[in-house]
Amino acid sequence: MMDDLLAKFLPQFVAHTRTRVAAAIGSTTQRDRASFAKTVSELHTVAGEAGLLGLTDVFPLVRDCEQKAKRLRDTGAEADVEVLLAALHHLAQVIEGLAASPGRPHDDRVTTAR
Amino acid sequence: MAIANWGRFIVRAEIHSSSDSVVSYGFDLTESSIFVVTEWHAAIGTPVTVRLSFPKILEPTDVPARIGDIRVAGEPGEPGGIRLVFDTSSRDIREKLVALLERVNAPITTTAAENRPCRVLIVDDSWLIRDMFTYGTAKFFERPGALAVDHAEDAERAWGKLARSTYDLVIIDYFLPTEDGASLIARLRSDERLSHTPIVAISVGGRDAREATLSAGADVFVDKPLIFRDLFNTLRMLAEGPSPSRQAAERKAILVFDDSPFALALTRAALESAGFTVAIAGDLTSFESQCAAFNPDLILVDVQMPEAFGDDVALTLRRWRGVEIPILLVSSLDPNELARRAQRAQASGYICKGAGMSELVRRCRELLEVAP
Repeated sequence: MMDDLLAKFLPQFVAHTRTRVAAAIGSTTQRDRASFAKTVSELHTVAGEAGLLGLTDVFPLVRDCEQKAKRLRDTGAEADVEVLLAALHHLAQVIEGLAASPGRPHDDRVTTAR
Repeated sequence: MAIANWGRFIVRAEIHSSSDSVVSYGFDLTESSIFVVTEWHAAIGTPVTVRLSFPKILEPTDVPARIGDIRVAGEPGEPGGIRLVFDTSSRDIREKLVALLERVNAPITTTAAENRPCRVLIVDDSWLIRDMFTYGTAKFFERPGALAVDHAEDAERAWGKLARSTYDLVIIDYFLPTEDGASLIARLRSDERLSHTPIVAISVGGRDAREATLSAGADVFVDKPLIFRDLFNTLRMLAEGPSPSRQAAERKAILVFDDSPFALALTRAALESAGFTVAIAGDLTSFESQCAAFNPDLILVDVQMPEAFGDDVALTLRRWRGVEIPILLVSSLDPNELARRAQRAQASGYICKGAGMSELVRRCRELLEVAP
């Protein structure tokens, strides 16, 4: 069942997530404090979608980004901006990897950004 | 039993003679004959083959027959057509017909049917039709809950309801405002999820409407004014006589509430492929209406949503609405926090989205005691 679901829903997931991550990178780069809460919410949604889809390597990456975004939302510190941006860029790369090889969602070369 | 004569119901009837083929509908089926509504006729005694079918009730069955009688249209409710007399020399055909009629005439049983109502969506801008269905539901069904009728005034509203819920049958009027019924039927047939939904088209439009709706993919066309008793007998069979291939899980209904359209679509696809009937809600208003209309056996609620926290929703259902069916919180939150929220909300448990869809389906089966 999961193979069928993955084949059907992965392209949608990649498209949505690509857009969301790009928006999060944009607002974080511009230090748009008003958008930090929205970024947290969007990443939470992406994490849930990745989890349901069974993307076991992507799920912890997005959760990690979500935690970093929460921290930035609460502190607004410049250091937290850089940390989140690094994590988001890494996530964007992983999503592009999914788009390039949709048959291999569980890529064991993926490592979590720290 | 509410009415005595169960011998009448509606089927799709495809007549093939040596020179013509026509698709229409038939009723008044007996072991020896059926009346088919059609403008086509040939000489009495002409041999034909008639294929009888109705989704989920009657697999396509070819029956050799001959034209026994021709009737011109009379009063409303007495359409013109031909009576086909079956050649029942084949034992196989005879047994199929007898088995079908025995099912029609079987006394009402409420064992399996008590689990789920037969869900019907009527797409018609006429209030009269809706009132007639309300009347018919009360009159022809001993158990009022056996048939759950929902309405939509036009194609767009119907499409919205079809996107959110699963129906056992959709009845579509041909003459609808803005988008006609044939166009809506074509949309259903081209939609991957909805393409197998049984569709009965209805209209006062006669032959043109019949050809348009059947060409678009309707299973059966019935003229208005409806042969109401026959239609309700057909609905009764749908409601109370599931085909043997129907899985037990199909009769369990799950309502999913999540603000992510993607999560809703994915969850619904997984649960429907597991055999459940699924309705979805993306906001509180939709959730409220689906709770009332869909009568779910299980509710899955996301936790962090813009309008409300899922645990607050669950607690409200438990404490203030007296809802006793299982409720599961579904979230990507940390499992410890999710467990605390589920306990506080008096939910039946929780599912981590990170555990994946297979685990979600497994938990639903477990809670609803449905075998994989």
